[in-house]
Amino acid sequence: MNSDLLNQWSNLGANGLPYQIPIHPNLVHLTLGLFIVAISFDIVGALFPVEKAIFKFLAIPVTRSALFDVGWYNLLASAIITFFTVMAGLFEVSLAVPLADVTSAWGYHALETMIWHGVGGILILALIVGMTVWRGFQRYQWRKDMARQVQWSYLAAGLFVFALMFVQGTLGAHLGGEFGVHVTADQLLHLGGNPNQL
Amino acid sequence: MFKYLPPLNEHNLPYPDTIHPIVVHFVIAMVLFAVFCDVVGYFTKNPKLYEVSWWNLAFATVSIFISIIFGQIEAGLAEPYAASVSTLNAHTVLGWSLSGILAIVTAWRYVIRLQERPQLPIPYLVASVLLVGLVCVQSYLGSLLVWVYGLHSIPVVDAIRGGLS
Repeated sequence: MNSDLLNQWSNLGANGLPYQIPIHPNLVHLTLGLFIVAISFDIVGALFPVEKAIFKFLAIPVTRSALFDVGWYNLLASAIITFFTVMAGLFEVSLAVPLADVTSAWGYHALETMIWHGVGGILILALIVGMTVWRGFQRYQWRKDMARQVQWSYLAAGLFVFALMFVQGTLGAHLGGEFGVHVTADQLLHLGGNPNQL
Repeated sequence: MFKYLPPLNEHNLPYPDTIHPIVVHFVIAMVLFAVFCDVVGYFTKNPKLYEVSWWNLAFATVSIFISIIFGQIEAGLAEPYAASVSTLNAHTVLGWSLSGILAIVTAWRYVIRLQERPQLPIPYLVASVLLVGLVCVQSYLGSLLVWVYGLHSIPVVDAIRGGLS
């Protein structure tokens, strides 16, 4: 953001935020955890005939429909929370002051990384919401009475989104861990300070 | 002996980026969502949500031990400077404690589930809300290590290699 505009915030910390720790990375735990577990349980549900013996060996009673319930409710929760994840991310990237003279492990500069991470976030939000609608149709319409509640193509799409999330997550890790965005100690060191003052 | 270990990169890690903050997705999100489902399930009397809760809790319990393994490796390689040591110690102690607490709550849940009760007992709900509180404190401590103290970030690793202690 424009530095004059940044100065209009009277109480920004050394991390560039009006609070101590960024909110976006904490919401990311919820988005990713819920989505990955949703798809994983749908995969376990789809392969249920193969795994029955394992659950029996572990003495864990299990019904196939409960596995698909996890697939549905976790995905729904992920879709809802991800709107907040993206909103927090867009707000915090607007206050970002990255270390400008750095190239990331993937060869990008700060601005490219911020743009790809921003575009990627909106794309992944759209995919999660789209997959939630798709999953809802399978659950309540198309496959309502079928033992296997999800299509194979849905599971493949889920694995594709995992790959996008890996790329997106690594770009996000570069923003914090390499460009020092919203990392208090990195910003202090950049200003010539000592993080032991913290 | 050390020459047989993989070389460390500019994050002071033998692999590209920290793994612990990724694995903890599956503890934080699953514990919070499990308890959320319990509370909603309790008031709506929806037994499906109890099943969703149980499976999320079971997943969280497996994940917390994997988190601790990576957490110990990465804490060991962090070479924390003076100001960050007490936070890292608190995060370590609470992390190991949470593995025990979470395993006990999940075992309790396993027994409740086998009994096929129509409603969850109130003491269990109280314990799981306390568990959520501890998970939030632990996430906060971890956030401090990453976002305030910058452990494993390149500028901090550079400074430590340059003599910051």
